[in-house]
Amino acid sequence: MPAQPLNRICYVEDDEDIQKIVRMSLERIGKMTVEVVSDPLQAIEAIKAFRPELVMLDWMMPGMDGPTLFRKMKELPGVRELPVVFITAKASQTELDELRALGAAGTISKPFSPRDLPEQLRAIWSKLP
Amino acid sequence: MSSPLAAPISVAPAARSAGARDGTDPQRVLADRVEQLYSQMPQGVVVTLIIGAIATYQLSDDRIRQLALFWWAIVLLVSAARGALYYGYRRSAHKLAEAKQWLRWLGISALANGTIWGFAGAVFFPSRLDEQQVFLAFLLAGITSAGIPAYAASWPMFATYGAAIVLPFTYVLATFGNPLFRELALLVPLFYLANVGIAYRLNQVFFSGYRLRHAYGRLTEDYTALNKRLEQQLVELDEARRQVEASGRKLALFAERAPIAVLELDADGRIQRLNQAAEHLFGWSSRELVQDNASMKVLVHPEYHAQFDAQWQQLIATRTPVAHLRFRNPRRDGLELVCEWNVTPLVNPEGGVVGVIAQGQDITRQLEAEQMKKEFTSTLSHELRTPLTSIIGSLQLVNSGVLGEVDKDVLELTNVAERNSQRLLDLINDILDIEKIESGKLTLMPELLALDELVAESLVLNKGFAERFQVRYEARGTLLPVQVKADRKRLLQVMTNLLSNAAKFSPHGEPVEIIMEDRGAGVRVGVRDRGPGIPESFRGRIFGRFAQADSSMTREKGGTGLGLAICKRLIELMDGRIGYADREGGGTVFYFDLPKHGAA
Repeated sequence: MPAQPLNRICYVEDDEDIQKIVRMSLERIGKMTVEVVSDPLQAIEAIKAFRPELVMLDWMMPGMDGPTLFRKMKELPGVRELPVVFITAKASQTELDELRALGAAGTISKPFSPRDLPEQLRAIWSKLP
Repeated sequence: MSSPLAAPISVAPAARSAGARDGTDPQRVLADRVEQLYSQMPQGVVVTLIIGAIATYQLSDDRIRQLALFWWAIVLLVSAARGALYYGYRRSAHKLAEAKQWLRWLGISALANGTIWGFAGAVFFPSRLDEQQVFLAFLLAGITSAGIPAYAASWPMFATYGAAIVLPFTYVLATFGNPLFRELALLVPLFYLANVGIAYRLNQVFFSGYRLRHAYGRLTEDYTALNKRLEQQLVELDEARRQVEASGRKLALFAERAPIAVLELDADGRIQRLNQAAEHLFGWSSRELVQDNASMKVLVHPEYHAQFDAQWQQLIATRTPVAHLRFRNPRRDGLELVCEWNVTPLVNPEGGVVGVIAQGQDITRQLEAEQMKKEFTSTLSHELRTPLTSIIGSLQLVNSGVLGEVDKDVLELTNVAERNSQRLLDLINDILDIEKIESGKLTLMPELLALDELVAESLVLNKGFAERFQVRYEARGTLLPVQVKADRKRLLQVMTNLLSNAAKFSPHGEPVEIIMEDRGAGVRVGVRDRGPGIPESFRGRIFGRFAQADSSMTREKGGTGLGLAICKRLIELMDGRIGYADREGGGTVFYFDLPKHGAA
């Protein structure tokens, strides 16, 4: 379990409505600091700049989907160590397992409950080495 | 001859009973002889009367007129009696069975007849003039010889008849006192014996004639029966042939007009015949394929040839029909179909494969439809869930109060909105689940887990339900520490379903009890409610899709009507079974049984 509590989160998501909900949930309920990135192509730059403790990725996005971005992140030192949580509406169990095998820290399925989202992330955070 | 016994040949053999044919032949020969004897009787009587009348006229002079008339009276009496006997015989219905009796009566009549003439000889001969004596002697000789044809069918009868005439006459001749007459008295018995001998011979001839006739009759009878049987068998054979032909035609028609492709192949896979549907489906004419001795492989995509060969070898080796083989099949025009094949080897009584019937169904469109359904499901999954995520998320944030105080009426409405959005989401999830299960695409992730811990966890997770419907979840007794191999997420889904159902149907303030029972190789988890019970009319379809006893309940308490259908299929996928029972004192218990891990 990491020493410090989970605080800084970067969220890559193209849907503005969901961005808002996640931001409110994490800021208002979870009291966290959130950086939202709409364009997955700019995500890596934003992550480097924001220096989050955990990254949340949407699965389906225009331009580049979550798993591709995830694989790209895995190639970059300084970024590849970050825990990544997928938040997705469409994922088969085998695909999720595949992602876990690649090193994803966890998955949260859409629709998620904004009330419980901070708690779910903290639970994943607490299980990290 | 009108008697059936006298004319056996003309009688239809079928009318005869088997007993009469096989067992009573001598009786029938006898009956025929009796018939022959009786048939001569009318002539006999008439001749007797004529000759008797002539004799009476000739012999009745004044001296013995009374005696002659007396004799004539006797002649009339005996003739009447014989007539009556003849009449009786003709009317008799038992000529065959009573042949012996009729023969006896005839014997008596012959004796009586003979006695008349014997009496005439004895009484009238001594008192006559010479010429009258000659007349009488001539008469008696004639009468005696006339008896031969009349009684030829029975020589003893002739002997009796003749003796009755000859004995008194011989006696009269012997005692007359005339040496010529004495010599005659010696000759008459000799003549008599000679006549009896002739009668005997005739009798033999008659007898063998009768036997021959009967043998012939029987032969004819047998022949007719044989013929009839043969005819019957021919008719049956013809009928059988027609039936075979008809069923053959029917079968051919079935294959020919079947909407699926039907091909007859030989044991090497060469096409022998194909029906119209096959011609249309693949674009080849029957003639082309059959004449070229084309292999079934012509109709199979090269990519599948190896698989085809392997399947074919197995088919010939095992001689067992194979169903649901899927191949890509090229058409003559280059287009491709996907067909599902049922292949049946035709095996002869010696166990050799003489041919193979292949039935193919074009499932290209079905596969396309499945693909479309898959795409639709995917769309449903993503495109509906994404906006719902925003709706539910927003409403939850409002309702959670983190955004500040909200007006009470507004809050009530946003709660309604959240609840109904959740219902919509549940429905989508349930439909996706059912679709996945029914298309066989649901893959479970079985793991070894402690069932008691999972049950306890489900009680915590569903606490919200209990609170909403104002009931309590209570574990009754201890939860047994049993390990099962099951999909954790899916088993929790089943528990959630059962617990939420129980909460919905329980009266406020009542407990919903959760029990665990050891059942030998399995373990049972039950959820008991104190609800109204399950209506009789609903019991048959409770595990069906969109099953709800009362549709007004949907509006009031939520639920898609798919929950139990999903539970049933999930539990069955985990090798368990689900059921329910009435609970004593009202309410229902829903349970599922799962095999214990490690138990056989």
